[in-house]
Amino acid sequence: MPLMKREEWHDLVREVDWTLSYVDDDAVFPAWQSGTGKVPREAWSAWEESYKISYPEYVSVQREKEASAFAVKAALQRSNVFDNLDEGWKSCAKVHFGAVSLAEYTAFIAEARMARFGLAGAWRNMAVLGALDEIRHCQLSLYFAHEFVPKDPQYDWALKAFHTNQWAIVAARALFDAMMVGGNVVDTAIQLPLVFETGFTNLQFVGLASDALASGDINFANMISSVQTDEARHAQQGGPTLELLMKHDPMRAQWAVDKMFWLSARVFAVLTGPAMDYYTPLDHRKQSYKEFMQEWIISQFIRTLQDYGLKKPWYWDEFIEGLDIWHHSLHLGVWFWRSTVWWKPQAGVSKAERQWLAAKYPKWEEIYGPIWDQIIANINNGNMQATRPETMPWLCNTCHLPQCTHISSPDGKYLVRDFALTHDNYTYHFCSKVCRQIWWEDRDMLHVKTLSERLVTGDIQPPDFAGLLKYMALTPDVMGDDAYNYKWAEDYR
Amino acid sequence: MSEPHRIPINAKFGDDFVMHVVVVNSADTMAEVAQKVAHHSVGKRVRPQPRDLAVYYEGRAVDAQTTVSEAGIRPLQHVFVDYA
Repeated sequence: MPLMKREEWHDLVREVDWTLSYVDDDAVFPAWQSGTGKVPREAWSAWEESYKISYPEYVSVQREKEASAFAVKAALQRSNVFDNLDEGWKSCAKVHFGAVSLAEYTAFIAEARMARFGLAGAWRNMAVLGALDEIRHCQLSLYFAHEFVPKDPQYDWALKAFHTNQWAIVAARALFDAMMVGGNVVDTAIQLPLVFETGFTNLQFVGLASDALASGDINFANMISSVQTDEARHAQQGGPTLELLMKHDPMRAQWAVDKMFWLSARVFAVLTGPAMDYYTPLDHRKQSYKEFMQEWIISQFIRTLQDYGLKKPWYWDEFIEGLDIWHHSLHLGVWFWRSTVWWKPQAGVSKAERQWLAAKYPKWEEIYGPIWDQIIANINNGNMQATRPETMPWLCNTCHLPQCTHISSPDGKYLVRDFALTHDNYTYHFCSKVCRQIWWEDRDMLHVKTLSERLVTGDIQPPDFAGLLKYMALTPDVMGDDAYNYKWAEDYR
Repeated sequence: MSEPHRIPINAKFGDDFVMHVVVVNSADTMAEVAQKVAHHSVGKRVRPQPRDLAVYYEGRAVDAQTTVSEAGIRPLQHVFVDYA
């Protein structure tokens, strides 16, 4: 018997739905999970994804991808490619594995929630496939990293990171939990597939892949490119959801987009910015972080705003200014506090690298030059103690990243300022006006103490730097140090 | 008058790039506070200079001999220190 063509049966299977009569609709789809808000219940039947795929097609396509990814891995396992990779480049991969592996699992939970509580049958169907994708991504990431654990214990943080209170992971969890699992599924669909997956993940999985290939890490490049092909499919859950929300509650859509765009950009500035502008060997940098952001995030984001009738976020000018600042400050912080991370930061400030930075970021020498010059002088004078911290930075109550954002002032100087807010007799500190504004709107939901608060309120014992390292579960074999053992400073002797 | 006690503050030195957690004592003078804050920046990331230090709280310079208690600096407040 010949099989029916997919077009003849697909609409029947992708939109399984019925009017519940044995139980109440809101018992099955409670508002706090389904999040319909002002969108009428019946409006969800119009939800439609652009790219349709059946389950048999999904299995067939995914099987090919898996076979290809694992074939490349198996071939390279027998080679000495890993042993010859640049140490700075390896840190790009270590950062990725630690910050991303279990974020993928969190995304699986988000997809599974959308599959359960999405109010359109077609949406639930796409989310089931999305859930399978994210399990795949988590497993690929952990499996690829696991091969290197015997060679370097920092790769163990691919699994361990999310189980610790390491400061960058606290920041990552604050972002991802809010984005993926903290709210109802309508907000999740705007925050995850739309804001995060149509823009930011391209930066990490496509932009970084090109640097990976240039650096000779074919295995990693192949893995993350394979992951991104899935992303393109399940990210399309955002569009139809946004369309409905724009019709019935545009203010809600605008807030979800604006908030999540800013918070994603903050975390990317600490995880991806340094990887692209400092850790990737100079000769292998395809583009600067700012150029990647402009190509993969900003252009895409502006198109999305235009397509759906959204306005530019209220903070847009500050975000654009931040492209020249955030990741440089955060890189400096990560390098100086290098014992607090699970990778080896490459300082990336040899003379040749500084020339590249100055060409790509005209303000770099003015703002960061004197600071690095002092650090370099200390290294070359053998005063290594002065290159190590004795306290911790103050962390922002919203993004959990250090207060280290230079902001321009009317006299043309760039200064790092404290943005404080006293509420209910407690003083909160923020890295920027925008983080403060986001906190104020969402203050009923944001209760995670920053690590600096944990230090000063006695949660971290002993309340000193050694106690902090122990609290963050960083062991001496994992604590980061300069990727090139400070050899780059000889350039300045 | 209460016993001297530790007060954690949010502090920044001059052109350094980040705020720090610094613990001062309520009995510390501003001169002592300035040294405690400067310790984490000067010579590490900020070039040392042979100049006096000044402490600013709530936008105003505070006399070097004023104590933390006298200045009204409470826990978690922001203090800025710079070359005078």
